[in-house]
Amino acid sequence: MKRIVVDPINRIEGHLRIEAVVDEAGGRVTEALSSGTAWRGLELILQNRDPRDAWLYAQRFCGVCTTVHALASVRAVEDALGIAIPRNASYIRNIIAATQTVQDHIIHFYHLHALDWVSPVAALKADPAATGALQNAILEKYRLPLAGPVELDTAAFPHNPPRATVAYFRDIQAKVRRIVESGQLGLFAAHWWDHPDYALLPPEVHLLAVAHYLTMLDRQRELVDAHLIFGGKNPHPHYLVGGMPCSISMSDMNAPVNSQRLAVADTSINFGIEAVNYYYLPDLLAIGHIYAQKGMTDGGGIAGTLVLGCGEYPDETYSGIASNDYYKNLLLRSNGVVENFAQGVAVAKYHDLTGADLADPAVVVEGVAHAWYSYPQPGDRHPWSGVTKPQFTGPKEGTRTDWKFLDETGKYSWVKTPKWRGRLAEVGPLARYIIVYTKVRQGLMQPTWAEKMIVDQIDAVSAVLGLPPHAWMPTMLGRTACRGLEAQVSAYIGKYFMDKLVKNIRNGDTAVANTAKFDPATWPKEARGIGVHEAPRGALGHWVTIKNARIANYQAVVPSTWNACPRDDAAGHGPYEAALLATRVKVADKPLEILKVIHSFDPCLACATHLYNADGEEVAVVRTDQYA
Amino acid sequence: MIESKHSGETLWALLKRRAVSRRDFLKTCAALTGMLGLPPAALPAVVAAAETKPLPPVIWLHGHECTGCDEAFIRSQKPLASDIVLNLISLEDMEVLGAAAGEALERHHHEIIAKYPGKYLLLFEGAVPTADGGVSCMVGGKPIAAKLRAAAQNAAAVVAVGSCAAWGGIQAARPNPTGSVAVSEIVGSRPLINVPGCPPIPEVLTGTVMHYVLFGMPPLDSKRRPLQFFGNRIHDTCYRRAFFDSGMFVENFDDKGAKAGWCLYKVGCRGPVAYNQCGSMRWWNGLSYPIQSGAPCVACAADNFWDTDPFHQRLPNISLPNTIATADTIGLVAAGATLAGVTAHGLLSVAQHRRHKEKDRREGEQNE
Repeated sequence: MKRIVVDPINRIEGHLRIEAVVDEAGGRVTEALSSGTAWRGLELILQNRDPRDAWLYAQRFCGVCTTVHALASVRAVEDALGIAIPRNASYIRNIIAATQTVQDHIIHFYHLHALDWVSPVAALKADPAATGALQNAILEKYRLPLAGPVELDTAAFPHNPPRATVAYFRDIQAKVRRIVESGQLGLFAAHWWDHPDYALLPPEVHLLAVAHYLTMLDRQRELVDAHLIFGGKNPHPHYLVGGMPCSISMSDMNAPVNSQRLAVADTSINFGIEAVNYYYLPDLLAIGHIYAQKGMTDGGGIAGTLVLGCGEYPDETYSGIASNDYYKNLLLRSNGVVENFAQGVAVAKYHDLTGADLADPAVVVEGVAHAWYSYPQPGDRHPWSGVTKPQFTGPKEGTRTDWKFLDETGKYSWVKTPKWRGRLAEVGPLARYIIVYTKVRQGLMQPTWAEKMIVDQIDAVSAVLGLPPHAWMPTMLGRTACRGLEAQVSAYIGKYFMDKLVKNIRNGDTAVANTAKFDPATWPKEARGIGVHEAPRGALGHWVTIKNARIANYQAVVPSTWNACPRDDAAGHGPYEAALLATRVKVADKPLEILKVIHSFDPCLACATHLYNADGEEVAVVRTDQYA
Repeated sequence: MIESKHSGETLWALLKRRAVSRRDFLKTCAALTGMLGLPPAALPAVVAAAETKPLPPVIWLHGHECTGCDEAFIRSQKPLASDIVLNLISLEDMEVLGAAAGEALERHHHEIIAKYPGKYLLLFEGAVPTADGGVSCMVGGKPIAAKLRAAAQNAAAVVAVGSCAAWGGIQAARPNPTGSVAVSEIVGSRPLINVPGCPPIPEVLTGTVMHYVLFGMPPLDSKRRPLQFFGNRIHDTCYRRAFFDSGMFVENFDDKGAKAGWCLYKVGCRGPVAYNQCGSMRWWNGLSYPIQSGAPCVACAADNFWDTDPFHQRLPNISLPNTIATADTIGLVAAGATLAGVTAHGLLSVAQHRRHKEKDRREGEQNE
């Protein structure tokens, strides 16, 4: 047995430490510990601010999934104040969210996850001519010929197809060779390139993937040009409580949005569709197919036993979230909880989750048995009566400021443990896919076009892999695959709302903001609201309490809190830890598999650990949680 | 790990070694000249700098941050982030993008510091928490403050990336639960460049790094910001400035003035106190900036801007000479409008200087 520490975990947002005990003989992980090692106290900083500014502060929870916290925040404040936003604003927010999802997933695959699968050193052995042939073969075999509705088809032909020329691959390979031979490996320095898993893929796949890593590094920013049109910058585009700030006019000289500005956003959306259909999905399915054929389908954890989602993309505008109106016309009804999907979609158990559930204190509690906090009484607490009192206990071995090993029998993380009906749940693209697939296949809802596309994608991939959905989905591979599939749906969702925006403007509606209740004099003395968003990394919820026109309390439960949480003594390990326990580590001092399985969640730790208060005061008057 | 045999080489030597032609090298220099905002006549100087200055290895560490600045860095397209990290700097230690993790990365970090004392450039993103021994940000089992202090000791220079590193940022806003401070308060007398912004404009960040690589320390203002990027107020470079001078304001979001792209001053725009490149370079090589999308500037590169809320409240009313009064009325006084605008501009500058003097005041700072 060997206890290994990976700290820092790289290629993520924020600060994460993993400790695992590995049986070196069989490679089995017998114990695993996930620790968020930083917190910033942003919710405390939000208190007493103007609720109309909340999005600006909350947005800084995370700059990788930039925009998602701003969206959840304006939704929460509007929910509290009873503000319904104009149609155009809803469409524009959906375009921002969909393009963000496409871009975030692409960056995750190529720049945060790919180097767990692909090695520039292995690319040196590739035959450039064979790599060109491989590119063609992959496009023939692994393109997924599914699409959403495109009314205004502005893309005349593929403008950015992958290069498959021998000369291109020869030059890319020569460049990689010069870097490796120079000894200045830069970003590629000091890694475990001799790990046996890199030998699973042929050299040509490595070269192809390295080329696309570089292509997408150069092009990713164009995927979110729409953020600059509607929000002025990225990361951290601007929002407005009541709608969006980007006024529309086809008859003024300097309007933020006019025909040409719409064309910028539309061209960017077209590129997203192309980037997913020609690069991301074919690359992902080709590599995934090889891994599946070699039986590398571990790393599942609790995805097969409990997943949770909150629903996204109001098709038209809505009057409130806590009132459930939000859930009445969603394009992607991933709200819900699914148990035991690993046993097959027919026997999986579905539970509803809507606004009423979010306000119900019987559904969700938070525990601190293994988090660096203490409660005044033993046991868990519902978020509405939550208490945040830090109790940093230091490590098991080492000192407070020089850790050797953390203590899995005691407290070991700045992340609390959220529970749904006493159990831990995984969130994210995989969770959304399991929930939508279960709801449609069990006949619980008639699918929208987006939901039908998800079901078709899952069935298509099952056919390629020769495995039923419940076998390949709740695994490390399935987590990564569903993220790619979701990028395809999201690319068309961006287009779908672009179509709706154009049509609505054509009908003469140019409003982007409802300012009737912008003045605090129009607000009730006290109000509280909930904002939800299916962020790229999973279900996200913000809860705001407003008193005398100021934020009395602000709480967020974010995707990585669900996924990265420490264990619960009764419910067991959280998603990261459980996935690690289901993973085999071949070389204990080069635990590449740990990086691979943790990266399959796309960790976002600054989001997960921003909640906590240094001074031990009671933070939460209303400790809100969307699953409460 | 493969050892480098090429420490301290020039940009031209590196490009030669990577089989870049002289012609391409000169093209690169021409692009850099434009990117750095220098006149074409400066090209020979850029070429000379690229041929003679050593190329430092770069370490990029993270404290209390949101990783938005890393995202901004990779959004840079002129120069391309890929060209920078593969051909122009040697980014040896970078958690967010680098392949290596854990002990291997930590070991490499120490090797780079030991191997290139006084030669590596240290980029630090995020604020540095100091409360309770700094246990609120632990990396590799140690406080990030200690890691920064140790790495800064032998750095050729330190770049504080983003408003969190430059000023303390959002976590240092009241009540600053983690005792977060700016990088400048940790690294003492080391040469320091502040590149604020939440996040910085991508090309401002890469432009600063490139300036350092080619020319050494850039000329800095009193707050250690590169003058070439932080010398102008957004108000002075804003395409909507004429509307301010003419007294044509957005009164409410999405009103007639908003559709016409008039000045956002009265709905809270901080352009008059914001030193940044949004008005001139704009974001993504001219595509947009918040004001162009109809959103008031929040002065995200300004010291302590997080405690200058509420953001929809406008900057102080400025009393103007000859009782022409304020932005509420200058537009009504046609003859005096332009003069009044200019005067208001001047007075706001004075107000800005006063604000700088009060930078330590963190509590309850309002604009009126």
